[in-house]
Formats: sequence, structure tokens, C-alpha cells
Amino acid sequence: MPKLQDLQAHEVVQGIKEGLFTAEEYVSSVINRIEDVESKVRSFITLDSERALTSAKLIDRKFKEKEDIGQLGGVTVGIKDNISTKNIRTTCASKILEDYFPSYDATVIRHLKDNGAIILGKLNLDEFGMGSTTEYSRYHPTHNPWNLDYVPGGSSGGCGAAVATGECTVSLGSDTGGSIRCPASFCSVVGLKPTYGRISRYGLISYANSLEQIGPICRSVKDIVMILNIISGKDIHDNTSMSSSPITINNKLDKFNIAIIKELIDGSDLEVRKTVYSASEKFKEIGCICNEISIKNLHYALPSYYTLASAEASSNLARYDNIRYGFDLPIAEYKWDTYFSNVRKNFGEEVKRRILIGSYVLSSGYYSKYYLKARRLRSLLKLELLKLFKKYDLLIGPTMPILPFKFGEKIDDPIKMYLVDINTVLANLAGIPAITLPIGFSNGLPIGLQIMAAPFEEQKLIDVSNALENTINIQRRPILI
Amino acid sequence: MISKDQLGYLAQISKIKLSEDEAKKFPEQLDKTIQYIDILEELVSGDSIVLDLQEMKFDELRDDVIRMSGGQRINKNLTKDGFLRGPKMK
Repeated sequence: MPKLQDLQAHEVVQGIKEGLFTAEEYVSSVINRIEDVESKVRSFITLDSERALTSAKLIDRKFKEKEDIGQLGGVTVGIKDNISTKNIRTTCASKILEDYFPSYDATVIRHLKDNGAIILGKLNLDEFGMGSTTEYSRYHPTHNPWNLDYVPGGSSGGCGAAVATGECTVSLGSDTGGSIRCPASFCSVVGLKPTYGRISRYGLISYANSLEQIGPICRSVKDIVMILNIISGKDIHDNTSMSSSPITINNKLDKFNIAIIKELIDGSDLEVRKTVYSASEKFKEIGCICNEISIKNLHYALPSYYTLASAEASSNLARYDNIRYGFDLPIAEYKWDTYFSNVRKNFGEEVKRRILIGSYVLSSGYYSKYYLKARRLRSLLKLELLKLFKKYDLLIGPTMPILPFKFGEKIDDPIKMYLVDINTVLANLAGIPAITLPIGFSNGLPIGLQIMAAPFEEQKLIDVSNALENTINIQRRPILI
Repeated sequence: MISKDQLGYLAQISKIKLSEDEAKKFPEQLDKTIQYIDILEELVSGDSIVLDLQEMKFDELRDDVIRMSGGQRINKNLTKDGFLRGPKMK
């Protein structure tokens, strides 16, 4: 039997239900793992070991008294620190929220707790989810567990690194332009950005509402399905949420028609390209048809994404005005003319840049030149994709065009940093589901395959990902100690 | 190139105070970003392109029912001695 902290979520629940180990033993082994590796990886902003152990004891008592422990009974979950957790500090990796304790749980957290999951703590991110490396966290960067000199991806970098190292069983991240898929790919784990509307965003601290979705990061496709089914569904607090059918793990695979997106392949590093082509050969071996196609307006996707995301950010972050959220400044600081700007100087550089760009593209004279054009482009891309999904079941390409890179390599050039997201923003603009799956390594650094489907066709994503996962045998756990 | 005055104006409408270092390096960085999104200009404008596509049908809006939320849910940061607390102003 593998070490307890290495178990997947479905194995943890099974083990506890069969009496092979207790929830307390399991949670203790995960906490020991954190004590061993956290100083190297730095996934957490807030760790709540004490409350996690209390919850584990409660699960054990329920099991002893033959009560239902829930579908996730004993599973430890790490939460990206931009998802509200009642009475657990939620900072968004920002100084402006350093003392913020939400008074309510996000809907996804409520679903997890109702099903016996144990919230272990809050995981690192780029401030407010703006970034691709966690270097923009105002607390500390997270390190890639496969090579500590390299970035783990972002913005949900803490989520990817914690799951890969066994610091938690699964994690919940959020994805505005690739923030789940990028770190999942860079850390060699599975990450899903669901269809816009499948999961309630109530309690997710907003950055760009029309683009973002909460989603799971796990060590297997089976765990993704387990978490997805529990957190999905219509929510009275989020009018964009919708009911959807539960997803299942099927052992039989339909003969899917898969399209490889030429532009995503062509813009990628050679090693990434080779590995993706080799995965597409595997698809053929398991009975699928693979063709290469082109998406006409794809080169407009990234500029369109950054226009829309910055515009929404400039509006959303206006709430940090030190009246609704902020600091307890000394009385001498309270002057009307400088009050707001004095408080908001505490945003990090990247957040400030995006707010300024957002204000720029929304200002009169530039609104139709940038914002309106970006909205139109988004519609065009959606139309083009929906047309493609009439012919093809799935679209594939590299999740990230490059391998994980070293700290500091791109931080001084915002455009270089933005280009990291070039393959992932498409799914957010179109609101479609996309998954990333580990498919190989180059020089010890992970490579992920991105698979996209039509809205609410997550079942197809899961079917094909499960089949591919079963045929590709790669190392799952980085060696850290 | 974004001028110092333009940057100052953007900072003012965004209600953000910039540090000396930021005021020095932001014009070039923002300029690069704007140059990058300038590619959107190539897109044909006009009514021939739909503005937004409502392909997904969202469920009906919820009923507008008044519910009592209860004072106990008010964040502890905002209360003092049972009263709501706001920042002092000069």
C-alpha cells in the first residue's frame, strides 16, 4: 500500500470506510508531509492544521457510530486563497485583504463540507489571480516541486504544487485565463476549467466575472469527476449557474473525432510539440480520429482577453476603498483628497498595471477602439468554435506553449508574461470546458495536454482523458526529500 | 508613448497612488501592452458582427424574496461593542 499522504481522494474515502485507517491518521500523515516539504515549496498562505485534525476526529466518531461520513469523508482539500472560507483568513495574496475573515462560505466550500471534506488551508496565488507564476503574490512565491528553481505556474500555483507534492489530496482553484490549467500543467497534475455556469461563483472574490470559473486540481481524472459532481449545480446566489448532469467514469470509449489546433502547436517549443504529437498518436491507438485544423481569429484571442479582463478588473477592484475592505489607518491618514489612493497604493505592481489598462480601455475615446472590439472578437471566436464542435467532438493542443521557466525570467516584461497564457484564454473567452492532463517530461519538467469540448460536454473530456491517462504511464510524484 | 501627464490622469481616475519607481517604469510597460492590444484595430467594426452571443440559456432569475440575513453574519471587522463601525474622517 502507498504512503497515506500519496493516496487519491477516492482511495482515502474507501480506506476510511473499510476501516483500513482512520481520518485522523490520514490527516496527520498529510500534515507531516506539509511539515517536511512546505519550507521548500511554500504552497500555503494560511494553514489550518488544528481545525483539520478536529474535523478528522469528527469523521472518525461518525464512522464509529455508523453515521454517513459523506462522499468525501476525510479527504483533505486545499483552497485557493481567493475563495471565501468562513472564519478562515482569505487574502487573495494581497496586502489589502491581509486581515479579511469572510463571514460566509462560498457555495463550493459549503458543498465540500456537507460531503465530509476537510479544509486544510488556503493556497498561494498571484495577487487577485493576476499572473502566471505566483511571483506576484504579496506574501511569497511558490516553487515548482519538480525543480525548485522554476515557477509552478499560476495564478493557482499553490494549488498545483500542493496537490503534486501531497500537501493535500485535492485542491480548488479558479481559472480566468488559464489559472487552473497552467499550474496543473507545470506541476504535472490534472486540472479542469468547467463550462461557464456549471459551478457557482458565489464566494469567489471577483477579478473578471464573465471569464472566471472555479475548478478542481487533482492527481487523477477519477478524482476530478468526484469533486466536479459535488461542487456543480445551480445556486440561488449565482444567476449564471446552471443545473447539469452528473459525470461518470466510463470504461468504454466512443470513437471521438478530435481536432489538433494548428496555431497552438506551431507556437510551441519543439519538445512540447513532440510530446503533444505523441499523445495524439495514442488517441489514434485507442480508436479516435485525429485531424489538424486552423482557427481563423485565434491570434486576436490574447489581446482580446487582456482588454476584457483588465476592464473587468478595474471595475471589480474599485471596492477596495478602505470603507468596505481595507486597513485600519491612523486618524491622521484620513483626508478626503488622498484617502482612496493612499489605501490603494497597497496593491502590487501587476494589479495596478491591470487597473490602469482597464481604466484606459474603458475611457471615452478608447472604449470602441479596444473594449467594444474585444467584445466583438469574443463573439466571433464563440461562433467559430461552436461551428467546429458540430464537426469535431474535441479540440486539443499543448496546455502551455513552453516548459516551466526560472523565477525572474519574465517578471520585468508584462507582455512576455501575458504570452504564457496564449493557449488557455480561448476556453475562457468562449465559456467552454477545458482539461489539462500530464503527458510527459522534458529535462525533468512537466508537459500537459489541453483538451477542450463544447459547452457542458465535460463527459467527453472525462471519457477521453480517462482513456489517455490509462495508456500513459508517467512519474506522478516529484522527489523532494 | 503614454506621457507622464496621461499616466497621472489614469492613476487619478483609478484612485491609485503610484510610487516613484512605478511612475518611472509604468509608461513604457503600459505602452507596450497598448501596442499589443492595438491589433484589435484590424477587426472590421460595424453591425455585421454581433456584439454578444447568448448561446447558453441561463435559468430564469430567482424570485425576489425578502430574507432576513441576521446581524450575526456581519463581519467582526466591521463591528465594535455591538455597533457597526466605519472609518473616522477629518
